[in-house]
Amino acid sequence: MRGLKSRKKGRTNRELLLFSLPAIVWYVSFCYLPLFGIIFAFKDFTPKPGDPLVKNLFVNSPWVGLKNFSFLFLSSEMPKILFNTLFYNTVFLILGIIIPVFLAIILAEIHSRVFSGLVQVVMVLPYFLSWVIVGYCLYGFLATDEGQVNHILRILGGSAVFWYQSPEYWRFILILTEVWKSTGYSMMIYLCAITSIDRTLYECARLDGATFLQRVRHITLPLLRPTVATIFILRLGSLLASDFGLFYQVPLNSNSLQPVTQTLDVYVYQALMMEANFSYSAAASFLQNIVGCSLLLIANAIIRKLDADSSLM
Amino acid sequence: MNIKKRSRGKNIIRGVLSLCILLALGTVFTGCGQGKQSDPLRWVTYSASGPPLDAKEVIAAANDVSREKIGVTVDLEFQPTEKINLMMASGEYYDMVITSSWLNPFDKNAEKGMYYDITDLVQSETPALYESIGKYWDCARVNGRIMGIPILKDMGAEQMYRLNADYFEGQKGMAIPERLDGFEAVEPYLKAYKEDHPDKYPLAMEKGGPAGYMNFLERIAGGIIVIPYEQDSDIPQAEAIWDCEELMDRFRTLHRWYEAGYIHPDAATIDSTASDRSIPVRFGVAWKGYLGYSDPDYWGFHVKTPSYEGPFLSRQSEQGSMIGISAACSRERAIECLKYIELLSTDRKFRDILAYGIEGKHFNYLENGTVLTTQAGVDRYTVNLYLTGPVVNASVASISRDILGDPDQWEKVYEGYETEGIYSQTRGFYYDTTRKEQIITALQAIYNDYSAELRTGTSDPDVVIPKMRKRMEAAGFDELLADVQEQIDAWFEE
Repeated sequence: MRGLKSRKKGRTNRELLLFSLPAIVWYVSFCYLPLFGIIFAFKDFTPKPGDPLVKNLFVNSPWVGLKNFSFLFLSSEMPKILFNTLFYNTVFLILGIIIPVFLAIILAEIHSRVFSGLVQVVMVLPYFLSWVIVGYCLYGFLATDEGQVNHILRILGGSAVFWYQSPEYWRFILILTEVWKSTGYSMMIYLCAITSIDRTLYECARLDGATFLQRVRHITLPLLRPTVATIFILRLGSLLASDFGLFYQVPLNSNSLQPVTQTLDVYVYQALMMEANFSYSAAASFLQNIVGCSLLLIANAIIRKLDADSSLM
Repeated sequence: MNIKKRSRGKNIIRGVLSLCILLALGTVFTGCGQGKQSDPLRWVTYSASGPPLDAKEVIAAANDVSREKIGVTVDLEFQPTEKINLMMASGEYYDMVITSSWLNPFDKNAEKGMYYDITDLVQSETPALYESIGKYWDCARVNGRIMGIPILKDMGAEQMYRLNADYFEGQKGMAIPERLDGFEAVEPYLKAYKEDHPDKYPLAMEKGGPAGYMNFLERIAGGIIVIPYEQDSDIPQAEAIWDCEELMDRFRTLHRWYEAGYIHPDAATIDSTASDRSIPVRFGVAWKGYLGYSDPDYWGFHVKTPSYEGPFLSRQSEQGSMIGISAACSRERAIECLKYIELLSTDRKFRDILAYGIEGKHFNYLENGTVLTTQAGVDRYTVNLYLTGPVVNASVASISRDILGDPDQWEKVYEGYETEGIYSQTRGFYYDTTRKEQIITALQAIYNDYSAELRTGTSDPDVVIPKMRKRMEAAGFDELLADVQEQIDAWFEE
């Protein structure tokens, strides 16, 4: 009897393994194997034509220690660049939880399936647009001459605003754009979590006379906590990385906006777009990942202290 | 028993994992370093948008000829910049590659030893090629050795304006001379158009700025440091862009034009103005007799192209297009490459194949010896001449039977370089960036924060440049400038 059971178990494992094979191959070849590229960050990469990459990297290129990182710190703007990166990511982190959770709770209360489905589709749609397209749509609104916003301003008797030369508006515009684009998608995750909550809890609460707000406060929010914590931890890992498309394509790389749009990724691109220097780009992304990874571990440790069930590891 | 089963499960996992790693490693290791000594020469040239539709057919036609004449064939690839950079950096095998001052940087790669030293081979094996390039070999010399083959084309930069002649001459009665007196001399035309069309912007401007607006200077580290062509001192002096009054004046002029409404308010964010053909004034960089700007069928009006300065000849302009032979080539392969380029440089009929396609299908010869492309040629094989071999040895193109090209165009252009050319004092000098690479990279990032708005006139240079200067000096600008001057001095002494 016991033998039969374990044989069965072995077979299901094998089948499951087969199913996960594509994913394993993908992760190994695109996430683990390229890890050796970290070595680029510590080498002065000087390839010899005709030699294979591995020989070029290990034999032909000398070790240079931390020299490749120095270009990142030569810029006197680095504090501002880091501030921008952290500022936007923190805002996105907070709004990226509050707004979708709020919307998911409201949407879960809508009984019309058609309407609810329609709202979901409309809200998720922007997520699938590329930043380049979003950038040009926004240009349609904000262009100095032909833009819709300036048209309206002129009709109302105001004068045209040079949007792409006025950094003061752009923190708001960028945050608005990011929220508009990403909210729908994150909302879906929370909506799933909410619909999986046992309905009888709500019914009991209602019988006991709990108002809508009380039900949200005492049932929905506590049960959403693990989901929120997971997403929070995962996003913390990319706190020093920024969405290049948002900060480069959407402002159309306008020079005047640079004080508010320059994040670490944009800086690295600006520095290296003239020539491909793999060692420098490897150094920059290595630094981002080190910071991201430590933040992730720290946040996870804190959450484990507060609420062991919600932590990841 | 249970334990045994579990360990078997573990073995399976281990097996699967190691298989994956093997597979993935396999793909990494193969793919590089292969394909040596296969027959056709792998020749990589540039194209932003991929190969022309009939490329295969045309290359096959060219191979038929070259196989018969010299027993060499090529496999010509059209690759975008990123692919070429990646190919160079990863050590992939190729025989010939396009290299220049602006794409796949020649000086840097040659300094690193990426290219075959052809100093002796080119003289002993292909004397006709050696002869044909003459004094322009200088731009291919690194530490005295010839490391690449310059493509003979327009070697100097002639700066011009492209004006709507129908409007300015026909409607407004303004004369358009052969030569305008400097960068600002176009202002009356801009003014006239703006007065007639207050809602339009007469000067085409995109975020890249006016074409070749810095050609009157030798540029180092992406144009952060410049060397003026004419100087008082004996030893050429490098200077910061903010110390170059002529350039600063140009930025001021552009800003004045911007304020006056001659330039689109969003110019610094516009990628291309090519789709708006109504714009009456554009910048151009070409050579005497160039007809590429002048097709009235395309523009909807006749275009006149008065030059306003130049031609300027510098190491950069002469390095406009070159061919590098891979250092990994064997001696025999390198000779084959040279023989092939020699054939391109000496046999006009053969050269015209890669330039214009197949005779009768893509183009036809006209009575005066120029070439007229057919519709099929326009649609299916349009390639910039400098990408596929020496331009001067290809036939000159005509726009139509009415607008004929001058078959002796190139003799005149090269004569012009001798008589009117403005030569940089530092033509043989190249700056070795390796010592200050970090600083250059950091400065580049700073420059990119301001450059688009400076060169489009969007921002006021007297406000913005001091800010940029402050940041650049904090990032080690003076150290870089001193290093540049040190290298110039050392070069000059030799």
